[in-house]
Amino acid sequence: MRVIASYSIKGGVGKTAASVNLAYAAASAGHETLLIDLDPQGASSFYFRLRTSKKDRGKSFFSRRGRLLKNIKGSNYRRLDILPANLAFRNFDIMLNSMQKSKKKLKQILIPLDDDYDLIILDCPPNLTLLAENIFNAADIIVVPVIPTTLSERTYDQLLGFFDSKGYKKKKIRPFFSMTQQQNRLHTDTINKMGKKHSSFLKSRIGFSQEIEKMGLHREPVLAYASKKSPVQAYRSLFNEVAKALGMK
Amino acid sequence: MKDSNFDCSRYIVPVNIDRKHLLDTLGSHFALKATNHSSEKITLVDSFEWGLYTKRLLGFRMDNNNLAIWPSDDLFDPDQASVVENDNPQAKFWWDFKESPERGQLQDILALRALMPLSNGVLKSENGSLQDDEGKTLVFFQMVSFYRSASARNPLFSQVKLIPVTGYEEQQQRAQSLLLELGCFEPSLSPIDSFLGAIGVTPAPYTVKPELFITPTMPARTAVNSIISQMIEKQRLNEQGVIEDIDTEFLHHFRVALRMTRAAIAQLKEVFPEQDVLSLKERFGKIGRAANHLRDLDVFILDKKRYLNLLPESLEPGLLPMFDDLEKERASEVKRVAKWLKSAAYKKEMADLQALFEKGYAACETEWSERPSSELAVNKIMKRYKKIQKSALKITDSTPDEDIHSIRIDCKKLRYLLYFFGGLFNAKQLSRAGKQLKRLQNRLGIFNDLSVQGQYLETYLEETEHQEQKDVYLIAALGGLIATLHHMQQLSRKESIHELHAFSAKSNRQLFSQAFAAVGPAQ
Repeated sequence: MRVIASYSIKGGVGKTAASVNLAYAAASAGHETLLIDLDPQGASSFYFRLRTSKKDRGKSFFSRRGRLLKNIKGSNYRRLDILPANLAFRNFDIMLNSMQKSKKKLKQILIPLDDDYDLIILDCPPNLTLLAENIFNAADIIVVPVIPTTLSERTYDQLLGFFDSKGYKKKKIRPFFSMTQQQNRLHTDTINKMGKKHSSFLKSRIGFSQEIEKMGLHREPVLAYASKKSPVQAYRSLFNEVAKALGMK
Repeated sequence: MKDSNFDCSRYIVPVNIDRKHLLDTLGSHFALKATNHSSEKITLVDSFEWGLYTKRLLGFRMDNNNLAIWPSDDLFDPDQASVVENDNPQAKFWWDFKESPERGQLQDILALRALMPLSNGVLKSENGSLQDDEGKTLVFFQMVSFYRSASARNPLFSQVKLIPVTGYEEQQQRAQSLLLELGCFEPSLSPIDSFLGAIGVTPAPYTVKPELFITPTMPARTAVNSIISQMIEKQRLNEQGVIEDIDTEFLHHFRVALRMTRAAIAQLKEVFPEQDVLSLKERFGKIGRAANHLRDLDVFILDKKRYLNLLPESLEPGLLPMFDDLEKERASEVKRVAKWLKSAAYKKEMADLQALFEKGYAACETEWSERPSSELAVNKIMKRYKKIQKSALKITDSTPDEDIHSIRIDCKKLRYLLYFFGGLFNAKQLSRAGKQLKRLQNRLGIFNDLSVQGQYLETYLEETEHQEQKDVYLIAALGGLIATLHHMQQLSRKESIHELHAFSAKSNRQLFSQAFAAVGPAQ
C-alpha cells in the first residue's frame, strides 16, 4: 500500500481537483484506491456526491480503527472508495495535541488498510499545523500543486524551509505546475525558473481549464466526463509519473 | 470492512420474467442508471479435454476474435475477463495468439491442444447502477443474457449480478429482496455450470489414461477385458479429431490407447486362449502401424523451433526446406490416415474387435482366466520390474544402444501395468514407485528420441544425394544438426546409465517389492 498526499500550504491551487482525479486515474488503472478527505470543507466528498457527516467523529478517527473503516463509502466507480470529510475534522489539531506520538497518529491509523487498498490518497487542508506533520509522516509522496506565480514560489520555499527545520525528507515532495496558462508571460517565466531550480518537479502540468471548473456542476472527477483528447487527461500522466516514482506496477 | 469486491450476489432470471419488467421493478425503488450495454456474437471454446473448464474457467471467442477467459465466479463480468488478444480468425493453438501474460496462462492449460468451438450465440450485457436522487451509486448491477441468435426472443440464460458498494449494505439488501420477490433465484450450481446447463452443453472431461474399477477378486479375464474395452473406446473417441486434423494430440492419444490395448493383450495373454492371442495381436498391430509415420512427422514438426535453436543463426534458414518437405509430406499423410479411418474396412474391423470385448470375451477357460486379478497383477508387475532391474545392472559403458532402448520398452510395459492395476495397491507406495519409474522413463525417452531423430536426419541427408541440384545450406544445416544431436545423445546415454543404476538400487528394489508384495484390503 502506498500513500499519496495532495498538499499545499496555499488554498485554491487545484489540490482537491488533483486528489479526486488522481484517485480516479488510479482506480481506473486497476488499483484498489481509497481517497481520504481530510479537508473539513469536504470538497472531495462533494465531487463524489457524498454527504459530509455532521456527526462529531473527529476523535474516533484517531482512536478507534473499526469506526474509521465503517465510514468508508464506495464511490460511483469500481475500486474507488472514499472516506468522507467530517466537520469535526476542524478540531484535529486540538485533538492531536493531547495525544501521545501525536505526529505519527495518522500513519498508524492507515496501517490496517493495507489489506484492502493498494493506494491511499489524502486530500489535505491547506495549513502547516500538527495535522500537516501527520500527513508528512504518513505519505510516501507529497504532490504539491504550484500555480506558477511569484506568490506560489514563496509558499513553496516556505514548505521546503519547514521540512528542513523539522528534519523531514524533502525527497518526498514532488511539486507539479497547476492551473497554468500558456499565454501568461509570468507563468511561462516562473515555470522556466522554478523548473530549473527544483529538479523534483513532475513533468506533467495541469493547465487552467473550464472543464475542471465544471466539476462542481457535474459532481464527478473531470476524467469521468472529459473526452479522451481533452488536455485534462494530463491527470492520468500525472498519476503515471507518481505511480512510477512509488514503484507501483 | 470494505467489501465492495466481495459478496456479489447472483440471480438467475427465469424465462417468464422479461428484462423490462425486471428493470422497472428495480427502477421503482432506485434511480436506474445504465452505463453501457452491448450485444456481441460469441463462441464458447475449449479443448477436447475441457482444459479450461477443469480449471473452472470458460473461454469465449469474441466478435473481434479476441479470446475472453472468465473465472467461474466472475463469469461475464467485463472487468474480470482475462483477454488474449488476437486478430486471426483461424487461431486455435496458444501459439496462434499474440504474445502476452494471458497467452502464457493459455499455454499452461492447452499445451498442444487446440481450442474447439462448442456452442455459439449472442451475449447481451447491460451494466449500470442503482442510485439515489443525488446520483450517488448505491449498488452496481450487471445483467447478462445469452441468446441462441440475434433474432431469438427469449434468452437461454439470463443472470443479474448485484455488486455491493462499500457503505450501502441496506440498499444492497433491498435490491436483493426485490429480485427475489420477482421470482429470480440464487443458482445452486456454480456460475459456469449453471450457464453450460442452460445452453445445453455438457462438459465431458477426458483423459487417455485408463479409469478402471478393478477389484482384487475380480476374475483376471474380466479385468483384462474391461481394460481393453475401455481403451478401444478411448481410441475411438479420438478418430474424429484425427480425421479433422484438429490437433496432433488426437492421433497421439489414438495411438496411446491402441498401444495400451496391445500391451494388455501381449502382457496379460495368459487370460486368453493361445490361438486367440496371436490373431488379436496381429489385428491390433495392423491398425497401429497405419499411423506410425504420421506420428513421426508430427513429433518432428512440433520440435521445429528446438531444432532451429540448436543451429547457429546463420544456418537456421538452411534447415527450412526440410521442414517444408515435412509439412508437405504430413499434409498428404493426414489425408491418407483420414481416408483410412473413414474407410468401411477400418470401421468394420474396429466394430468387430469392439464387439469381442463389449459383453465379456467369450472363449474357453485358460489357466489364468478365472484367477483373481490381484494375483495376475502382482505376478506381472514384479516380473517386469525384476527384468528391468536385472538388465539395468548389466549395463556398462560398452553396452550397445539397442539394449538400453529395449529396457525403455520394458519400462513402458511396466508403466502400463501400473495404469491398469494401480487401483489395487497402496496409493502412497504406488505413487512413490511410479515417480521413480517416471524419472527413468523420462531419461530413457530423451535418449531414444535423440537416437531416432539423428537417424531420421541421416536418412534425409542420404536422400539429398540423389537430387540434381544440391542445396549447400541445407546439407550444412543437416550436418550441424546431426553432429549436435550426436553429442547430446552421448551425454544423454551417460545420464541414462546413471539413472538405470539408481533405479535398480537396493532401496528401489525394496520399494517395489513392498508396494507390490500383496494386495491391499479387498474392496
